[in-house]
Amino acid sequence: MIFYSKSLILSAALTLLAFHPRLGAEPATFATRVAPVLEKNCTGCHGKDKQKGSLRLDTFAHVMRGSDDRVVVKAKDFAASELHRRITLPASDEDVMPSDGKPLLSSADILLLEKWIAAGAPATEPFDAPALALTPITSSAAPDYRPRLAAATALAKKLGIRLVPRSIVPTDGLILRTASAPTQCNDAVLAQLAPFADLIVEAELARTTITDAGLVSLALCPNLQILDLTQTAVTAQGLGALHPLKNLVVLNLTNTAANQATAASLKKLPSLHHLWLFGTPADPVSAKPAAAKAK
Amino acid sequence: MASPHPLQPDLCSDHGGEHPTIWDLPNIPLGLKQEWLNLETRRHFLGRGAKALAWAGLASILGRSLPRALANESSSTPLLPHFAPKAKRAIYLFMAGAPSQFETWDYKPGLSSMFNQDLPESVRGGQQLTGMTASQTRFPVAPSFYKFAQHGQAGRWCSELFPYTAKVSDELCVIKSLHTEAINHEPAILSITTGNMFPGKPSVGAWLSYGLGAINDELPTFVVMISKMPIQVNVQALSNRLWSSGFLSPEHAAVALRSGSNPVLHLKDPPGVDRSVRRAMIDGVNDLNHQLFDRVGDPEINARISQYEMAFRMQTSVPELTDFSNEPSSTWDLYGPKAKEPGTFAYNCLMARRLAERGVRFSQVFLRSWDQHNNLPTNIKILAEDSDRPTQGLIADLKRRGMLDDTLVIWGGEFGRTVYSQGTLKPQDYGRDHHPRCFSMWLAGGGVKPGISYGETDDFSYNIAKDPVHIRDLHATLLHQFGFDHERLTHKFQGLEQKLTGVLPARVIRDILL
Ligand code: HEC
Repeated sequence: MIFYSKSLILSAALTLLAFHPRLGAEPATFATRVAPVLEKNCTGCHGKDKQKGSLRLDTFAHVMRGSDDRVVVKAKDFAASELHRRITLPASDEDVMPSDGKPLLSSADILLLEKWIAAGAPATEPFDAPALALTPITSSAAPDYRPRLAAATALAKKLGIRLVPRSIVPTDGLILRTASAPTQCNDAVLAQLAPFADLIVEAELARTTITDAGLVSLALCPNLQILDLTQTAVTAQGLGALHPLKNLVVLNLTNTAANQATAASLKKLPSLHHLWLFGTPADPVSAKPAAAKAK
Repeated sequence: MASPHPLQPDLCSDHGGEHPTIWDLPNIPLGLKQEWLNLETRRHFLGRGAKALAWAGLASILGRSLPRALANESSSTPLLPHFAPKAKRAIYLFMAGAPSQFETWDYKPGLSSMFNQDLPESVRGGQQLTGMTASQTRFPVAPSFYKFAQHGQAGRWCSELFPYTAKVSDELCVIKSLHTEAINHEPAILSITTGNMFPGKPSVGAWLSYGLGAINDELPTFVVMISKMPIQVNVQALSNRLWSSGFLSPEHAAVALRSGSNPVLHLKDPPGVDRSVRRAMIDGVNDLNHQLFDRVGDPEINARISQYEMAFRMQTSVPELTDFSNEPSSTWDLYGPKAKEPGTFAYNCLMARRLAERGVRFSQVFLRSWDQHNNLPTNIKILAEDSDRPTQGLIADLKRRGMLDDTLVIWGGEFGRTVYSQGTLKPQDYGRDHHPRCFSMWLAGGGVKPGISYGETDDFSYNIAKDPVHIRDLHATLLHQFGFDHERLTHKFQGLEQKLTGVLPARVIRDILL
């Protein structure tokens, strides 16, 4: 195969585990998988401090007790569980949970809760939970873009690039977009983005004129998750500058000079899941051992 | 003029000498002002003289900033996704005419022993048939002429018609339980491309353009390509009602690339006209259009201006796009030699990849002639041979370039076909009638789980046995991958919050999502 990816479907599970010792190490239980979802999305209103709708969701016992009015989890039957109904309503429904326009649960989280209830809502026993998503690009932890969005947009316009929010969620970060005029985006342009470095979660730099000096600017984007360097003049050594990118999940080096040594060292990036090397000196050689390992 | 509000012609001192706009009028709810302005522009557009005059009067009272305020509210400004999208772009391989599910993705091994037996009455359950087969005295079961074998790590049963696609079977999510209402091509194609069987609604690609805006301003956000057919049997006409922007601003409609050496008509400057002359001409026309806009404030004028600009920009972006000379030789190994011939399905698949690379949001490639009422075994093979290799090529190419994760590829037609033969039934020769109650499609990439199947049909692929997926659900799922809650991607028109999924319930098929 002439491409290399950590996500090669089912076979990838093994590689993935080797790559990410912390994923999938523990069995799925209420404590390891369900409680974190409730804590992230619900306990702000249904916990020790606030009990909206007379409901607490911060311990197993409270979840199973339900509200003053009803039991909200009916073991084995998620379709009949009030908790499930509330999280699967359309965003426009006034009963939807989380309420107040807070981001809704992801499909993966909903599926997880379904599997847990279907398994009889066990307190401590493991249940058959869906594997953690292979592409863990979740909402980023970028700071709120709202106070700086106007300034970022204006600067981008001046530089002939764009900085656009990934979504209306203010912590989803900004995408650096260059496709309208890729040749206008060079190292000097990247250097000027420093005031907004922490907001950039994705950089679309394919076919731009950036070089190794630009990588040094990119390394200052602590929340960068997706980086596309397809067909740029970056060098094998220069790519070493990306090592500070602890949150980088996807790195596309298609048609660059990346070699085997670059690939080997970049694979050590703690969050990296996909490294694309098509059309590079690293390509045929590095793909083979990976495929062999998967088999 | 029956204006519901007293208008204040005086200048406001706190606007630095600017005329007041309708937004400045006190005590009128914002929604009402908006509604009223929309109505007024609409009426102007419909050419009702008296109302247009009333409008002009209003505009002169309020000054030039009124149309500006209106323009901000037009559907040209892209919105933002409601949550972080998984997919950035989509490529829709549209198999027009409706390929049979029996020979493609809904393997029914049980049928081989039932050749020429009558379809049990209990299966049909008295459901209505089309006019084309309703008069048949018998409904004899026609098993697939083509054999199936298991492929990939997931062991999916793939038809021998698709030896290449079978190689990327582990990338696909096959949905076998699609269903639709329409029983004839025109309403069915409209339903699946626009969410409604009546013409005039925006196409899926137009909704995406409206919601997301362009990645690359030098190219359209939505492109359609109609492929040369290897055979021409029962060919349906395709026209821009399938890729129109409906009530959304016209720039969200697709640009249809033509097959042949001149993909966009009239794009080349005629001999003797150079680029600066063309620029001057466009500037002149734009100036006139700006003047007209300032006078009447119809947002469609702005759309016209942006279309001239787009055409001008495409004069430089399209030649680069259609120049395949820098493709590596591995490209031709993947898509096959036909990809060098403009207008073929193979060429269009490669073009779709190039468009995706350059940031085009939605490319829809049509391949027609799947409407096989007779001679099905012969004709389906010709179409499969034409499309199988480039389809696999496209998936493999996106994958190796790291683009499959955020490009959603969709393959399918507008409905399914009947288990019983239309016309004479021989083992190697039969036909199949239209069947909207179940059909198969596949999705790949774009955050959809690879290597799975979803939904099941009964032993005759006549009724859905498990997990039905209405085409509305498909639309809701598609929008979801682009970061939109389909309930909230709306546009106000005719007093309604219009949306792709319409008014009936639709659900995101979460089980197929990563
Ligand atoms: C912003 C505050 C807020 C958040 C966050 C929130 N809820 Fe609620 N919840 C409420 C309020 C207020 C009510 C009572 C009104 C109602 O029933 O809609 C309620 C009621 C409920 C009820 C109905 C209780 C009953 O029996 O009447 C359930 C079940 C529920 N929430 C589940 C959840 C779940 C699960 C989450 C997390 C995914 C969540 N909520 C997050 C505010 C919140």
